[in-house]
This record gives sequence, structure tokens and C-alpha cells, in this order.
Amino acid sequence: MMIGLRVLCFAGTYALALGCDLTRFFLQTRRGWHLSVALTALGWLVQGAYLANLTIQTHHIPVTTLFESLLVLSWILTAIDLYLTLHARKPTAIGLFILPTVIAILMIAEFARSTSTWNWSQWNDRVRFWGITHGFFLLLGAAATCVAFVSGLMYMKQSNKLKHKKPPRFGVVLPSLEQSERWNRWAITIAFPLLTFGLLIGMILNVAARGEAGRPIAWTDPKILSASAMWFVFAVLIHARFRPAMRGRRVVALTMIAFAFLVFTWSITLILPSEHDGPKSRDKESRNSHSLNRLKTDVDSFAFIFRSSDDSKILVESIVQGGRS
Amino acid sequence: MKLLAVGVDHHSSSPAIREAIAFNESKSAAALESLKTLYPNAEFVILSTCNRVEIYIAADEGTMLPTFEEIAQFLSDFHEVPAANLREHLVKYHDERVIHHLFRVAASLESVVLGEGQILGQVKEAYQIADRNRSIGAILHTLMRETIRVGKKVREATGIDQGKLSVASVAVDLARDVFDTFHDKTVLVIGAGKMGDLTLRHLADLKPGRVVVTNRDLSKAETAAARWNGVAAQFDKLYALLIDADVVVSTTASPTPIVTLEHYQRVQRARRNRLTLILDIAVPRDFDERIGDLDQVLLYHVDDLRERTLANLGRRKKAIDAGEKIIEHETATCTALLRHQRTAGTVLRRLGDYADDIRLREVERLITSCPDLTERQREAIDRFALRLQNQFLHHPRSAVRTAAETHSPEHAHSLLTALKHLFRLD
Repeated sequence: MMIGLRVLCFAGTYALALGCDLTRFFLQTRRGWHLSVALTALGWLVQGAYLANLTIQTHHIPVTTLFESLLVLSWILTAIDLYLTLHARKPTAIGLFILPTVIAILMIAEFARSTSTWNWSQWNDRVRFWGITHGFFLLLGAAATCVAFVSGLMYMKQSNKLKHKKPPRFGVVLPSLEQSERWNRWAITIAFPLLTFGLLIGMILNVAARGEAGRPIAWTDPKILSASAMWFVFAVLIHARFRPAMRGRRVVALTMIAFAFLVFTWSITLILPSEHDGPKSRDKESRNSHSLNRLKTDVDSFAFIFRSSDDSKILVESIVQGGRS
Repeated sequence: MKLLAVGVDHHSSSPAIREAIAFNESKSAAALESLKTLYPNAEFVILSTCNRVEIYIAADEGTMLPTFEEIAQFLSDFHEVPAANLREHLVKYHDERVIHHLFRVAASLESVVLGEGQILGQVKEAYQIADRNRSIGAILHTLMRETIRVGKKVREATGIDQGKLSVASVAVDLARDVFDTFHDKTVLVIGAGKMGDLTLRHLADLKPGRVVVTNRDLSKAETAAARWNGVAAQFDKLYALLIDADVVVSTTASPTPIVTLEHYQRVQRARRNRLTLILDIAVPRDFDERIGDLDQVLLYHVDDLRERTLANLGRRKKAIDAGEKIIEHETATCTALLRHQRTAGTVLRRLGDYADDIRLREVERLITSCPDLTERQREAIDRFALRLQNQFLHHPRSAVRTAAETHSPEHAHSLLTALKHLFRLD
């Protein structure tokens, strides 16, 4: 509950930032843009503190569960948003595209929180290392995919405006077509090797390492199939980059499809049973134990934020004891 | 506090009159020097642009402010223009109307081209010249600073300066919407007419990597290209030139399109489908209309560009009301600010005098009652009393100064009234 509240804290700050950005459609002032940048920066700092705390509490980089990975992904995307916004020549509407994506990812993360049940104790150090590397590569690949998607959206919007000769809106400046296309191209170029390495490590782990502790995940697992489809679309995208006929809107359309597969890959474990995120524990005891661990992490996080170490330790222990009884 | 503005503008006078009494920097300095000599207690700023020549004058209450007639005579003498010719064109504003007018000028509501950005720079320059020549005091310093602030505020809040009003500058905006960098781009101008030249003048601000001009008459192309550090090319190589061109400006007088869809499809294939912006400002069209449907090609006709300028003008006109409201409010605030600054100075002076009287009286009484005090002890008592007085008055003084300098006339007024009542300073 406490973590949920704080995810809500920075997600809410991003929503407020988005709201400020949206005011530029109605109020002819740049204050909305300045406020939006300030709120985004604030939300990013809060989320950074939250992730740092999570790392300290769990003793590993938070990329081991879908919930953690999505939090880190949204944090990276917000950093990219801030970087692009502050490096633009004039107040551009980049936040209008990235912030909704960030908020949507945080919402999926919230849904995914209860399904994230990795049991680390069954793996040895070597498998853990490669498991984290697998997650890390895929996470960075996903961040690049999101950037490709967002820049593709900006390209589509600007292209649509210019093709249909619509007058520009005051205060809402989009990046130039060339700029959006360049971001899209870079993002695809970066995403492809990251996803390829991530998936390859995952495949090797599945065949070799996971066999040590149990049976490997079936190749027909929905998550594996969806991730493979996403990789295939990216392979087509990389190929398309070298074909003149596939420039502009067509490449952007393919980027959208790749992003759709990415979202599908994230959310598939929420809809269909998948072995990827660990066996679903059905017994009550296991569920209770997992809930208790989460409760402990939540309360520890609360204590970390408020820095009243002695009192908070007593508070943590008493709540956890209460939970056990 | 008294304010006066006297001058001519594009409503009241012809360009010939404005040119006759225009000031450049050296003339401004000389005129300000003369005005200072004639009216040593007044403050002066001269604003001279293509569309207006105005002298702003300020003085404290009880100080002689030059009259309209005197300023008219000064302008006539300074520029050696017959006073009778000049007087009928001169316009004057008094007190609050001066502030209102100056704010309108800075916000470009008085400009020929509504929302133009140059006037704010010209107001700043006029302020700097007056400051350098020490012809301004506290009143005009405050007024000019407020004017620059209000000029910026109106632009930011209303967007009155947004959107270009000429076909050529709209073309530049479009180029910026399409391309991010221009050092690696080629601009091709087809035709060496006036319109192409004008568009190229604006596009040159983007510093394109290469400018190519082609025309049926090569010598005309060479002349036009030389003006913009470009190269001239023969017209029969048009298709080869189109392959390299990222921005195309076409202005020929051809009665039929010179580039057909089939031809341009081949060009685009040869370009490997790279982005192209075509500005067809010829009437009738030089490019087949269907070329605009191709992916990665943006084709704008002169009518599209003109439509944009009209939309921008309409938007600027809509911003006038919002700008006027801001100016009305800011005029009232600035008037109160100037009044309070003057009043605050007087009140603080009286407060100081009042405190000095009490201190001197009480120190004198103490020293008289203790005749055995040495000179050193008396000096110590003097210093003690002065320090005590200054420390007592420090916070009231700084509170009054801060209130008088901020945009909160109600607060400043209530503080000043309270001070006057508490210490009977009237």
C-alpha cells in the first residue's frame, strides 16, 4: 500500500506536469511549459529516490520483476524527456508525447506488481548475474523502443499538420520532421542490438541455466512468442532503414507495430499464464509469505524516506510481526 | 510626479516629417544634452524609429516641466524645421496617458505591423542612450524598466508576435518545421524574379549549405546567385538539380507546370525518398499539384502561404483585446508605483527628520543635566543615540522601500498611511 501510494506520488506529479503542458492549448503563456518541466524534474527525482531505496532494500538492481523493470523504464524515459526538452531550441511539446507514455507504463507497473513473484533463492550467483543482464539489456531495448514510438508519434503529428497545411498552434511547437525522424532512426538502431542480446541471453539461460533448477520455459510460452515477434518486427525495421521506399511514415508505422508488441509482451503475463515470471504459487502459505515480504519492503521504504531509523525499525518489526500473527 | 510625451507618429505625420525630425544616436545625445541644460530638474528620453519620434519628459511635483509649446519649439530649432509646419503634426500625452501610450508602443499595439518585435529593442536602445547621457532620474528609470517588462509580458501572454505576416517569412517557418539543420541542405531557386529573391533573402538567414539558382536566362541566374553566395545552373539541368535540392523555391512565369508528377516521382526515387519542401510561389503553378501527395514531399503553393499569413494576422488581431487589458492594468499599477516611490521618499525623509529632532533634543537634555561629562563621553552618548535611532528605523524604512518598489500599490499605500498617522508626518 505504501509503495502504491508513492508510485501514485510520482505518477501524480507526472500527471500534473502533463496537465500544465496541456494548458498551452488554452492559455497563451509559456508558464505552463516551465511549470511542466519543473514538475517532471521533481517527479523524476522522487522516483529516483524511490528506486534507490528499492535497490538498497532488495540488494539488487531493480530489473528482476516486471514491476521493477517498468519503474526503471519509466524513469529512464522521463530522463530522456527532460534531456530532449531542455536541449530543444524553443519550448517544444515533447512532454505531451512522452509523459502519457510514462504514466501508462507506471499504470501497467501497478497492475504487474502482484504478479511479480521471482524466487531468487533457487538460482545460483552465475544464473542470477546473467538473469539480471538479460533483464537489463531488454530494459534498455524497451526504453529505446519507447523513444522510437514517441518520436514516431511526433513525426506523424507534424507530418499530418504539414501535409494538410494546418496553421501552427501558438505555444505548441513540435520538433521538425527531420528531428523526429532522426530520433526514431537512432532509437531503432540502438534498440535492435540491445533486444537481440537480451533475447539471446534469455534463450541461453532457458536452455542451459534454468535447467539446473527446474524445467526450462516452453518456447511456445506467450511471453517468449511475443518477444520474438517484437524482435522480428525490429529486424524488418532495421532492414527498412536501408530501403528508400520505406522512409518516413512507413517506418513510423512499423515502429508503432513494434511498440504494440512490446506492450503486448509486458501485459501478456497479466492476461495469459506464462512460466517466464516464475511458477504461479497457488498455495495460501506461499502467497502470504510473499505478501509479508512485500509489506516489509514497503514499510522499510517508508522508514528510509523519513529517516527516523530507530523508531522506524520498531515500527517495521511491529507491523511485520502483526502481519505474521 | 508629472509626465509629458510630445512627438509624431505614423498616424499623425507623413514619412517626410518623421524623417525631418528623426534622431540617430549622436543627435539624441546632443538633444538630451541641450534639454538637460535648458531644464536641469527634468528627465528626458528620446524614442526615434521609422514610425515615430517622441520625447518623454518627467519631473517631480513642484518642479518646472517644459510645456508642449517649448518642446515643439525645441524640436523646430534643433532640426531647423519651421515650427508652423511641425506643430500641427505633434501629438501630446500627459501623466497617466504617457505611461499608457508608452506601454502600447512597447507592446507593438501602436506599430504599423501589429506584433512586430523590433520596437521593444528600440525602446531599450532609447533607454540606454538616455542612461548613458545621464538625462534620466528615478521616475524615467522606473518607467522605462516597467515599459520593457510590460512589452515582454504582452508578447508572452497574448502571442501577439507569433506567426509571420509575409509570404517569404512564412516560408522560413515552414522550412524550420520540416528541417532541423540547414548547413547540410541545398536550396534550389527556379526563376530569378523578385519573389524568388525575396524568399531567398529570408531563407539565407537559415544559412543553407548550398544555394543554386537556375533560370532560362543564365545571366539573370548568375546575378541572383552572386547576391546570396550561390551558384547559377543551366535550366536544362533542372531534373538533376532537383535530385540534390532539399528546399525548392519555384517562381517562373511558365503558363504550364514545368515539373510533372511522373518526372518528380523519378526525382524522388533518385533522392532515395529523402524529405523535400517545395515552395511553389509561381502563378500559375510550376509543380503538378499531385506531387504534394507523394510521401516525404511537402508542396506549398503561394495561396497556401498567403492563407497562413492571413491566419497569423487574424490571430494577432485577436490578441489585441487581451493586450489592451494587460496594459490597462499595468498602467494603473505603474502609476501607483511611481506615485508611491515619490511619496515613500518624502515620508522616509520626514520620518528621518522627526527621529533626528527627538534624538538631538534628548541627547542635549541629558548632556545639560550631567555637566561633568567629558568630551569623549559626550561623543559616546551621541554615537549611541544615533545607532539606537538607526536600528529602530531600519525595519520600517526597508519595509516602506520594498513596498514602494513592488507591484502592490495597496500594500504600499496602507504602509505609508500608517507611518504618517503613527508618527504624525503630515
